[in-house]
Amino acid sequence: MAEDTGNNRKCRQKRESTVSMLSRDILPILPGKIREIITELPGDVLEEIEEIRLRQGKPLMLGLTREDVMITPQGQPTTVSEFGYTVTEQDVLRAVQLVSGSSIYAFEEEIKNGFITVRGGHRVGLTGKVVVDKGKVKTIKYISGLNIRVAREIIGAADRVMPYLIDPVSKEFHHTLIISPPRCGKTTLMRDIIRQLSTGIPKLDFKGRTVGVVDERSEIAGCFNGVPQKDVGIRTDVLDGCPKAEGMMMLIRAMGPQVIATDEIGKPEDAGALEEALNAGIKVLTTAHGADREEISQRPVLKYIMEQDVFERLIVLGRSKGVGTVEDITDLKKGKSLVR
Amino acid sequence: MIKLIGACMTVAACGSMGYTWARVYEKRPQQLTALEAALQMLETEIIYGATPLPEALSQVAAKCDSQTAGLFRDAAGELRKMKGITAAEAWDRAVNRFFPETALSVQDLQILKRFGVSLGASDREDQAKHIQLAKSQLRQAAVQAETLSRKNSAVFKYLGFLGGLVLALVLY
Repeated sequence: MAEDTGNNRKCRQKRESTVSMLSRDILPILPGKIREIITELPGDVLEEIEEIRLRQGKPLMLGLTREDVMITPQGQPTTVSEFGYTVTEQDVLRAVQLVSGSSIYAFEEEIKNGFITVRGGHRVGLTGKVVVDKGKVKTIKYISGLNIRVAREIIGAADRVMPYLIDPVSKEFHHTLIISPPRCGKTTLMRDIIRQLSTGIPKLDFKGRTVGVVDERSEIAGCFNGVPQKDVGIRTDVLDGCPKAEGMMMLIRAMGPQVIATDEIGKPEDAGALEEALNAGIKVLTTAHGADREEISQRPVLKYIMEQDVFERLIVLGRSKGVGTVEDITDLKKGKSLVR
Repeated sequence: MIKLIGACMTVAACGSMGYTWARVYEKRPQQLTALEAALQMLETEIIYGATPLPEALSQVAAKCDSQTAGLFRDAAGELRKMKGITAAEAWDRAVNRFFPETALSVQDLQILKRFGVSLGASDREDQAKHIQLAKSQLRQAAVQAETLSRKNSAVFKYLGFLGGLVLALVLY
């Protein structure tokens, strides 16, 4: 399974050219000077960009698939920090304005959560001086650092896991939990599973199901003004920016989903909402941060959920063969691996 | 006979010149009041609607009087181009294009420009403060302009006409 997930898969996937995606979504939110620098980058670096980091007074840095590099004012990658282009206060101020469409006041809730989602579903993380009011974060003042996380949509990323998630006889979707360390393609995989469940998979004779997505951090569907920017299928309803537990209840009450998908469960109230969904006969797809089953079992809420024996399939992601390597798929009912 | 026609034309020309001057004085308070009303609408859009700026500016342009609308539509257009400029720069450009076509004074221009500096760059509370400041400044300017207009527009009208008459008499 893990052996041929890399290059082989890449060829078959319909992958939008990274360059055209960057110039459509990312360049317009960068301040002029940095925009020029990024435009000058060699093609192979552009292809690999996962993050663009702007820290005031520090060199401009790019997070690539395997490493991070600094960029010279001429747009050449370098590992020597002195040669890197130093991000100025003006660059940061301007970037914040551009990211928010010059409407910082319209993103107060988002800034409280530490990020803004921009057109195309990319997330921009913000750091600076946090203003606290009555123990709660009120806003971030003097924003000094931005991390632009380039969201990649890989149509077909879930092609090889889908047969393990759908019962060959009853054609039912199994309750599935995806666990993965950060930046291993968890959201990308989940999004494609949602798309396939929602649209249907003719090859598996699986008809589309109504899918409800609670997208608390606007990562799955990448909503911009409430409209999904990523392909999440034709029978998918998205609650964007909604707390998970409340969102699940809202969907159950009003949208009649057959599958509920949400990412990164971990709060006590999430467990309650999950149980509510299971009692309503709804299939569940969700994710958790962690390297393997042992690690997540040390967290109280996840431990509790695992002990309830609700999940039927466990997918473990890693990057042993590059981002999005499926390390293992386990049938939790039988307690054995399906791919080894 | 020709002399008489010439004299009449001189009087008419000078009279209309005075009239034009007077019109400038009369227009300024109207335009200032219109701007204040437009900022009031923008405040509602920003504070209560949390509408993103390009959209908020267009909304205001759709609702206010045609001349002021030009300013807001222009600023919204500049922002929508996504050429990497901030709201402050877009506003500044729009104001610079708007100003020559108005009866506004340089002081009025300064109010508009100062207002633009903070446009869209802070949270709602702060935006409200800036808009209210600009509104009160515009209101004050409008009151002063009104007084000036009452004093001067009549003076300029008579001055033009009488000046024309004097000129005609001297030349006659």
